[in-house]
Amino acid sequence: MVVPVRERVLSYAILIAMAVLVLIPVVAGSLTAFKPQIIWISSPPVWFFEPTLENFEFVLITRQNWLHLRNSLIISIGSVVIALILGVPAAYGFARFRFRGSKGLMQWLISLRMIPPIVVGLPFYAMFLFLERATGLGLRDTHFGLILTYQTFLLPLVIWMMRGYFVELPAAMEESAMVEGYTRIGALWRVVLPVVWPGIVATALLNFIFAWNEFFLALILAGNNTSTLPMAAGTYIVRARVEWGNLFAVNLIIMMPVIVLTIFLRQQLVKGLTFGILE
Amino acid sequence: MKVVLKDLVKDFKSADTVAVNRINLQIDRGELAVLLGPSGCGKTTTLRMIAGLEQPDSGRIYIAERDITDLAPKDRRVAMVFQNFSMYPTMNVYDNIAFPLHAIKMDRKEIDRTVREVARLVNIDQLLERSVRQVSGGEAQRVALARAMVRRPEVFLMDEPLSNLDAKLRVQLRTEIKRLHQDTGTTFIFVTHDQEEAMTLGDKIIVMNRGDIQQVGTPHEVFFTPRNAFVANFVGTPSMNMLPGSLRVEESGRIFVGLPGFELELPRRFEAGLRRMSSHHVIWGIRPEAIRLVSAPGGNCVPGVVELVEALGSRDLMFVRVHDQLFGVIVDALDSVAAGQACLLHFDGAHMHLFDAESELSLLLDEKAKGA
Repeated sequence: MVVPVRERVLSYAILIAMAVLVLIPVVAGSLTAFKPQIIWISSPPVWFFEPTLENFEFVLITRQNWLHLRNSLIISIGSVVIALILGVPAAYGFARFRFRGSKGLMQWLISLRMIPPIVVGLPFYAMFLFLERATGLGLRDTHFGLILTYQTFLLPLVIWMMRGYFVELPAAMEESAMVEGYTRIGALWRVVLPVVWPGIVATALLNFIFAWNEFFLALILAGNNTSTLPMAAGTYIVRARVEWGNLFAVNLIIMMPVIVLTIFLRQQLVKGLTFGILE
Repeated sequence: MKVVLKDLVKDFKSADTVAVNRINLQIDRGELAVLLGPSGCGKTTTLRMIAGLEQPDSGRIYIAERDITDLAPKDRRVAMVFQNFSMYPTMNVYDNIAFPLHAIKMDRKEIDRTVREVARLVNIDQLLERSVRQVSGGEAQRVALARAMVRRPEVFLMDEPLSNLDAKLRVQLRTEIKRLHQDTGTTFIFVTHDQEEAMTLGDKIIVMNRGDIQQVGTPHEVFFTPRNAFVANFVGTPSMNMLPGSLRVEESGRIFVGLPGFELELPRRFEAGLRRMSSHHVIWGIRPEAIRLVSAPGGNCVPGVVELVEALGSRDLMFVRVHDQLFGVIVDALDSVAAGQACLLHFDGAHMHLFDAESELSLLLDEKAKGA
């Protein structure tokens, strides 16, 4: 497709303006993460300085935020893995089979995704508390407790996205494999999953970002043992003071995996999110 | 292998009609049987039940005397080629063909030998290393054929495998499927809505409509002696001219069929069957090929005006208006009459069809059979 020069110039101008608008706070903040404390909030802001890692050293080691990093990784990866294990087969089921109430169930699942976390936070806390008292099974302040809670939001997203990919594929694809000597599960594994792989990557990444950034539910349900990175970031906003350098150091740590993953998986992501129509 | 369907029923509860309505069918060993019918007639559902992709509500399916009704698709020793799917997109041509062999844990050397042998059979041995992006629609369908053949199935099932191809390729692959059938001697069951495809391919044609089998016969039988009005109308292009009419039997024994605006005489040999059917309501029909242009008036000749002429190549299809009825007439292109001109049509009694107006069953079948 050939785009006229004028249109191309215009579209690039708009894109650059948007990028600048979005990137200014990110860049300014990220720079602050490398500033020594005395110039954190200097006015006018200092743009050229000798970068230092003292903020990172402080947050990760002195304040032991590496523990939060570990918690965030465990909870996010755990959430995504469980959501995929449960959600991908469910999505396949919704895509291929019609059963009593399948349509209503699907709509209910999508509506779950629209609930603000604040609505489920307290009930989950109450349920965890009740479960603990009734059975002694403690879920508060455990990685598994948060992973379980996040399924409320991750599972609908996984099912909804993956169902879209499965619906696009002709059913004859796995039927062919079934006639050729495979079970339905075998056909799914050997034939269908390799085709929707970019979709799985895209789904996993979007879900990872949700779990990785999640703050509110963690605030309610996590404790000393499971506190996540976004919560750690919150600790640098204290009383009337904000420790900008430390805050941005944590922020950068939070942003890094998402940025790196997105760059690494860019091709899969574009393929997955557009389902190959851009090729 | 011999395939037998016994009292097979499939009812998708969502639809108004029963998809497959208690059909009985026998397809003999080595036969190429074609299930022919309009969309929604149950032909694909029947095929999918044989493959095991659809479970019948009742009835049994036997392949080579073995009851396979409750077996999983993979255990039925059948192969299937689909209309809208031909290649696994994540594998190249070679791996596609090898795919069914991995299911039976064949050793690598044997797989390689088999894949190359089958690829040669369908003329894609030079494409083995290609990916799905690098093969055309026709080639992809050959890959599907190869993949179907590679396990030496007892029955080949084909669900409109040529419908998505362009006309030229369709004819070419049709010939190859026929050749494949002759070379392998396996039972083929081929589903299509294209009656020309059915005629050229089939040893036996099973015409279906609304979940019922309308007629089973050779291509000639379903074309020349349709058992009912549906088969008569569905088989043949351009389709048969059909009109409502009523019979008139004279004292002398001559039988006429009264049509809107004119009357035609039926041949004497129909006399026995129709003698007592005076004023019986019928559907009368005649194929466009059986109407002739004549220059002098005579028996069964009717004047008309040509409205439209479609060139078919060596022959023309004329639409001729006779007493407010439009008739399709096929004539040699050299004899064609221009649109707007008058002409004289002769209806050959020997090629007329009569169906009961109510049951739509043929009234002539027995007589024709006798005459033949």
